[in-house]
Amino acid sequence: MKFAHVFAEAFRAMLANPLRTMLTMLGIIIGIASVVLMLAIGDGIKKFIDKQLAVLGSNLVLVQSDTRKNVGARLRSGSVQTLTVDDAQQINSLASVGGAAPMLSTFSQIAYGNANSNSQVQGTTPETFKIRNLRMGKGIPLSEVDIASASRVAVLGKKLAEELFYKNDPIGQTIRIDNQSFQVIGVLDNEGQSFDTGDIGQVVLVPISTARVALIRTPTPRSVAYIVAQAKSAEQVNDMVADIEELLRDRHRIRADDADDFRVVNFGEFAKQGEAIGKGLAFALGFIGAVSLVVGGIGIMNIMLVSVTERTREIGIRMAIGAMPSDVLWQFLIEAVAICVVSGVIGIALSMGLAAAVNATGTFELTVGMRAILIATLFSGFVGVFFGFYPARRASKLQPVECLRYE
Amino acid sequence: MTASPSRAPSTLLEVHDVRKSYVTNLVSTPVLHGINFSMLRGDFVAIMGQSGSGKSTLMNILGCLDTPTSGNYRLNDREVASLSRAELAVLRNQTIGFVFQSFNLLKRMTIQDNVALPLIYAGVSRGEARKRASEQLAKVGLGEYGQRQPNQLSGGQQQRVAIARALVADPPLILADEPTGNLDTKTSEEIMALLTMLNRERGQSIILVTHEPDIAAYASRLIRLKDGLILFDGPAAEGLHQMRIESSEALV
Ligand SMILES: Nc1ncnc2c1ncn2[C@@H]1O[C@H](COP(=O)(O)OP(=O)(O)O)[C@@H](O)[C@H]1O
Ligand SMILES: [Mg+2]
Repeated sequence: MKFAHVFAEAFRAMLANPLRTMLTMLGIIIGIASVVLMLAIGDGIKKFIDKQLAVLGSNLVLVQSDTRKNVGARLRSGSVQTLTVDDAQQINSLASVGGAAPMLSTFSQIAYGNANSNSQVQGTTPETFKIRNLRMGKGIPLSEVDIASASRVAVLGKKLAEELFYKNDPIGQTIRIDNQSFQVIGVLDNEGQSFDTGDIGQVVLVPISTARVALIRTPTPRSVAYIVAQAKSAEQVNDMVADIEELLRDRHRIRADDADDFRVVNFGEFAKQGEAIGKGLAFALGFIGAVSLVVGGIGIMNIMLVSVTERTREIGIRMAIGAMPSDVLWQFLIEAVAICVVSGVIGIALSMGLAAAVNATGTFELTVGMRAILIATLFSGFVGVFFGFYPARRASKLQPVECLRYE
Repeated sequence: MTASPSRAPSTLLEVHDVRKSYVTNLVSTPVLHGINFSMLRGDFVAIMGQSGSGKSTLMNILGCLDTPTSGNYRLNDREVASLSRAELAVLRNQTIGFVFQSFNLLKRMTIQDNVALPLIYAGVSRGEARKRASEQLAKVGLGEYGQRQPNQLSGGQQQRVAIARALVADPPLILADEPTGNLDTKTSEEIMALLTMLNRERGQSIILVTHEPDIAAYASRLIRLKDGLILFDGPAAEGLHQMRIESSEALV
């Protein structure tokens, strides 16, 4: 009853001076849009990182040779391969490790009929498929038998298979890698960027034994370029890094005061850095949002005070015909809240538009969720109550005679 | 609130030794010096007096828009001084209908909504309030004007709307402070005819401020104020006759 009427009056008052109302609303609109985008970016970063981790495989570390710090090390740092398949095997049997795969890697010419491509070839073990979330689109993955017998078999990335075979079935076909024949036994289903191969769709996986024999010269028959290891759980990543360091120092007989001849790179750290950047951005937006909301709120308070003064006579008339002080208070408070909530809705719409524009670029996904909308609406309502209360209270305290005398 | 002819009319309001001083710049200016009178239900009182004699000050106190500096005021069996701001609002809403010199309709609001507003503040639903507002508008001869805005009406029409608004909640008392002050003679007569009709047919109690004897002649009782005191209180015809004598004496 009374409230329906008060809302109708609030909108009538807003429309009475549309330009002024619009300008008053700007601060709140910007503030709310910033808050919504802040929440959307927070969510977006989290999703982005989760997605990346799903491509990479989660809780992974990469163990590399690193002889730069060693006295007397050769100048071509990093090229000295101090790691071996035996290191990989030992790492694999550590309690904190879920799986570990030795890797050899090179760029080779891949050819099938007239089609050819330059791609990264990785020699590895079946363990790779498990720890890096590799799924087969067609055929089968590498097996232990392939490793043991150094079979000439290859698993292709999805895009590479399409490039070489178009729509034909690659399984069972023979391709040439650096002029050596390999039989295609499988095609990966994964897409996206991997930390060590670049585009996972362009990669060629072969048994590590075969790579050593046919494609990649190694300093010793057991050397590997690097080892990828996965912790049993996210909580165990740090333990795993410590375990691997202890194991390898022991195996490589490094004295207590000598530096490591290897390096453990934690990919979770990169993810954390990304998250930190995202948080920083969200914080900056949150700050802009908060400042805009406060400034906008003060603007609303100001305009409401002006409005109370302009409508002094109206207040007097209303009181004369029976408006209670509380009726007058509600009228102005609801008007302030209505301005803020309408601004909030416009702000949400604005942020949705910006999110859609960002999404259209395809690099990053921003979703304005129900949670953000709810928080923004409550926030704008709160700003309205907070900054609208004082002017409304002032209006309700006016004396009817004085208001009626006001010109 | 119709006065029943079978019973003797009861007292609607009673003013006892009401004084009012305005304080400006720490200087207290007395305006009303002790006003005493009472009014029966169904009476039609005109208040006259020179400009600045305190008519509006008295009307504001009678209308519970302002409080006396001292003295007692009983309205409709309630002692006004003891009431809170919210209670005064309810009293104004239910007991008094105001008609102002400058009409005081709310802009940007239809005529119908203007008239409905006292009912809205009384807690009546919007639909019901609008329905009753339309009925009241029809009674003052503006049935077709409900959807117009106040500035689309003539002064006389606006004052009729104000009268409809004053009557819509069926209050026992109408207070009109120079209701014809902004109107031409013909329109003033129409407004006075309307008020007189309300007084005669519905027994509506009315207090009206004017400085025109022709307007005061519509009332049954006249109160003349001079410098914040009652100079005359009696039948309107007698009071007006006395005024004519005074003015002719002044001419001589
Ligand atoms: N709010 C006020 N503050 C100070 N003086 C006032 C105020 N209202 C009225 N007065 C003074 O009180 C006197 C009576 O005013 P008013 O009641 O309006 O007279 P009337 O309506 O009879 O012309 C005038 O001298 C006027 O100047
Ligand atoms: Mg006056």
